[in-house]
Amino acid sequence: MTLPDSPRDALILGGNRLPFARSGGPYAGISNQDLLTAALEGLVARYGLQGEKLGEVAGGAVLKLAGDLNLTRESALGTPLDPRTPALDMSKACASGLETTVHVSNRIRLGQIDSAIACGVDSASDSPIEVTPRLRRILHRAFAAKTTGQRLKALTAIRPGDLAPVPPRNGEPRTGLSMGEHMALTAAEWGITREAQDELAMTSHHKLAAAYDAGFFDDLVTGYRGLSRDQNLRPDSTLEKLASLKPVFGVKSPQVADPTMTAGNSTPLSDGASAVLLGSAEWAAEHELKPLARVVDSRMAAVDFAHGDEGLLMAPAYAVPELLDANGLSLQDIDLYEIHEAFASTVLAHMAAWESEQFCRTRLGRDGALGAIDRSRLNVAGSSLAAGHPFAATGGRIVASLAKLLHERHRETGQVQRGLISVCAAAGQGTVALIESVDL
Amino acid sequence: MTNQLPARPVEQVKDLADVPSFPAVYAAALTPRRGRETSRRDPVLPEVTYRVRSVRIDAERAASFDHLMGGPATELVHPGVLHVLTFPVSLALMARGDFPFPLLGLVHLRNQVLQHRPVRVGEQVDVECRVRDLQPHRKGRTFEAVSTILSPDGDIIATDVSTYLAKGDGGGEDEARSSTRSRRRPFEPPRPTGRWKLGADAGRRYAEVSGDVNPIHMSGLSAKAFGFPRAIAHGMYTASRAFTEARVDLSRPLRWDVSFDAPVTLPGTVLVSYDDDREAGTVECVGWRPGRGDKSPRRCFEVQIQTLG
Repeated sequence: MTLPDSPRDALILGGNRLPFARSGGPYAGISNQDLLTAALEGLVARYGLQGEKLGEVAGGAVLKLAGDLNLTRESALGTPLDPRTPALDMSKACASGLETTVHVSNRIRLGQIDSAIACGVDSASDSPIEVTPRLRRILHRAFAAKTTGQRLKALTAIRPGDLAPVPPRNGEPRTGLSMGEHMALTAAEWGITREAQDELAMTSHHKLAAAYDAGFFDDLVTGYRGLSRDQNLRPDSTLEKLASLKPVFGVKSPQVADPTMTAGNSTPLSDGASAVLLGSAEWAAEHELKPLARVVDSRMAAVDFAHGDEGLLMAPAYAVPELLDANGLSLQDIDLYEIHEAFASTVLAHMAAWESEQFCRTRLGRDGALGAIDRSRLNVAGSSLAAGHPFAATGGRIVASLAKLLHERHRETGQVQRGLISVCAAAGQGTVALIESVDL
Repeated sequence: MTNQLPARPVEQVKDLADVPSFPAVYAAALTPRRGRETSRRDPVLPEVTYRVRSVRIDAERAASFDHLMGGPATELVHPGVLHVLTFPVSLALMARGDFPFPLLGLVHLRNQVLQHRPVRVGEQVDVECRVRDLQPHRKGRTFEAVSTILSPDGDIIATDVSTYLAKGDGGGEDEARSSTRSRRRPFEPPRPTGRWKLGADAGRRYAEVSGDVNPIHMSGLSAKAFGFPRAIAHGMYTASRAFTEARVDLSRPLRWDVSFDAPVTLPGTVLVSYDDDREAGTVECVGWRPGRGDKSPRRCFEVQIQTLG
């Protein structure tokens, strides 16, 4: 087989996700595999994929049990998909979900596969709890011992403190700061105000609620465990209520004079799963599925946050201009922007950076600022502040929703609609993608 | 339109306020009763229906059940969850004073489930249980415990038929007729596709999710008290696990038929073999105790699942 002269289209055909729950909520006691299987099952049912052998299912989780090494494969095997469908687990913190979409779309574009599911899941309620590294090593020594005496000797090294369970690390291993504390530093540096953050958060709730009310999620979300909407959603959120919350991040940082980040303008720990169906034009036609959008391109960036050269969550501010340049677009050529709301201040800091002459000249090496974006085109159906953020499930939520939004706008305007997705991730990383509507 | 309902056979129905608890049923079953000895010579099944209305299928319990079977917690309920939901109701019926056989000596021979539509966790269903079809058997007599799951509007969602053997005098004149059907079939084990290593606690773990605390499953000691050399796994545990491993599309109507041959003793190893027929929509599973030394392998159960329509 020879490669096609130019890559063919990778088309987004639809999606399915579970309503996102708050950690410790209705999905407590439910595992990553349960959630992912349910999301995949809903997708299979919605698009009639029973018995279908797909090219690949790529998925992953951020908070992942050691025993879940083949989480995606095991989940796919629990669905009515053909058990001969290959699967792949991927991981890149909060960008995992978007990366799975990019990965399978690349495979489709190269002609390696014709169809795929990109998916992701996370459960903060069922996150792994490990033993201390010291206890682990003692136990391994004891298991390896040849005699009972050696084994007992190894075990006598155990101290009471070794027995404490170790929950997942909530923070960057290289700085000891949590993600929220990092973001508080960046927010202070960029002068992001409390009011601007609260307003962005409130808007997210109102837009998500309006989208639910309009039935937008009827073919994107399948109810699970009694939940039919995202649990974190507060349709009646007001600036007054948000203003009454106490800051929780940056309160211990001397660099932050006036902490602004609260539980209201930060995403909560969440549980949920999402899945996106992609395929080639031929595969879509064979299966009588109407394509919503095509995956055009993607870029990644990483920043050196460890010693403070750049803010932890600022990588997308670098990746987006690179993606736009590669496709000959300006920031204002985009019709709909999906900037993942890890924190309200993250979105505001990215936009401030693109509006800053100094940042764009010194950091990006450009002639001038990228400029402002039309805020009415930002996260138009709500984002993570309202929906919640089960880390690896967020990418799939955004991709499926944006593809549908672009498709709807295309039908209204008769014009191709471009959408930009930007997701920041732990360890100073970011993944961004460009998708555009199709009307086949 | 007329408000006159068609005539139906008069049926005695006993409404229970709630699904009874297993320990209470087993305790009742142990209470000695007068007249049972005579009734065993000419047994008659009670013609009564036990009914519980509006039983909610608990999501947490369904998830624990799924997890024990090694599967994901599904939104559509594993039919084994429906079985354990109805089981105490039929047990309560069989623990009645006028029931002709002692409850704790019954042997589960077969189980047949026909499910017409999927059931969601959290759904409310009605449960009806009856006993019927007393038949001679070379080792005693068999009868069926029939549980029906209905939606609130009266539509039948699923029927679960358990065939039990009550050991004892089955009536000599029937022996010749039933022996051909009931005699142990020769067993040539197929190639195993999986191995279940069942711990000594397998019965207690299933009891936790099913509520079935029958002492023969709980420990070696309590099993001995009831004439079993070791604890044995719940038959419906093996059947339910096979159902989960068969990866059935729960959104479709299905049949789930099980026959039990030999008990699975605990702790123990069971070899299983699955045979999928995608065209026919069937999955078959057989489970057996591996042979050891001069002990030949012994089939423990056979499961067939068929998706319909």
